[in-house]
Amino acid sequence: MMSQRYSLRCSFPLIIQIAEAHRKPRWLPIAKSKIYRIPKRPEISQEERLELRRINNNYNTKMRAIRRFYAEEWVREKSTLESATSEMSQRLEADEWLRCEELNEMWNKTIAAEREERRAQELTIMEEYSLARMEAKDKDLRERISKASAKIRKEKELCTTFVTPENLEETIDRILSNTVDYNFAIDLKGNTYQGRDSNIQNEDKKIQASN
Amino acid sequence: MPVPPASGTGRYYALAAKSIRLIRQGCTNRPFFHISVTQRKRLNSQPVIEQLGSYDPMPNMNNEKLVALNLERLKFWLGQGAHVTPPVAELLGLSGFFPIHPRSYMTAWRNRRAEKERLEKEETAQSTS
Repeated sequence: MMSQRYSLRCSFPLIIQIAEAHRKPRWLPIAKSKIYRIPKRPEISQEERLELRRINNNYNTKMRAIRRFYAEEWVREKSTLESATSEMSQRLEADEWLRCEELNEMWNKTIAAEREERRAQELTIMEEYSLARMEAKDKDLRERISKASAKIRKEKELCTTFVTPENLEETIDRILSNTVDYNFAIDLKGNTYQGRDSNIQNEDKKIQASN
Repeated sequence: MPVPPASGTGRYYALAAKSIRLIRQGCTNRPFFHISVTQRKRLNSQPVIEQLGSYDPMPNMNNEKLVALNLERLKFWLGQGAHVTPPVAELLGLSGFFPIHPRSYMTAWRNRRAEKERLEKEETAQSTS
């Protein structure tokens, strides 16, 4: 499908089939049944014909006058426009321009004042916000430092018992001299018997012995 | 093919004949017309030079057929020598911008005559019965 703009630009007449409903194409001949049909002419009486002619003549005369009037008015308007561009309209335009500038400056001033106010407000809000953030950060840092120092203190307390190369022999001797036996036995009642060598008296045997 | 826009896009030649005409813009069973200026030889489906008004031929809820007109531009285009098609001339005549179109008078008196004949026929039928 070619575009409408293309069809407008073409210099030679183009035959475009415009889709109209219920129309057969121009190039098809008259239907066979309609070939010798003569359309009936409208019957207009002489009186009506004369009347129509009269009012049509009147109408055409009036329309001619109206057309001429508008054409002349257009010419007049054009000439006045052209003459006006020389002095009067230029002066008017300059006045208008000055007035517009004054108005614009006034608006600019008011808007500038508003803007300054708004900016100051924004600045204070921003400062408050940043100060609050800084404080929060300081507090967080302090908390972390205190936590870390507490941990360090605890570690320092613990490190008195650490085994170092200096007291290694000493510690080995101490441990070997007093060994701890962590083994223990447990019976059905939940009694624990510490040590590997502890003496356990069997209760059943005790009962039998008593009997 | 997209529907051409209502106004302002049609290319035209200054010296070519213009016509102010009704251009159907509604859809099936809903006629609506734009009153537009186009080049006289162009089809109604092509873009127009300018839209000057609209005409809704279907009576609305207040039994009015609405017509909108841009009279200033109409004057301008008439000054440029644009032709006016009879339907638009009739509308303009009824709106008081032009003298009443002869066709309006003709349809009026024909309707009047038809109505009169119908009434006479009814009367005769009543009298015979």
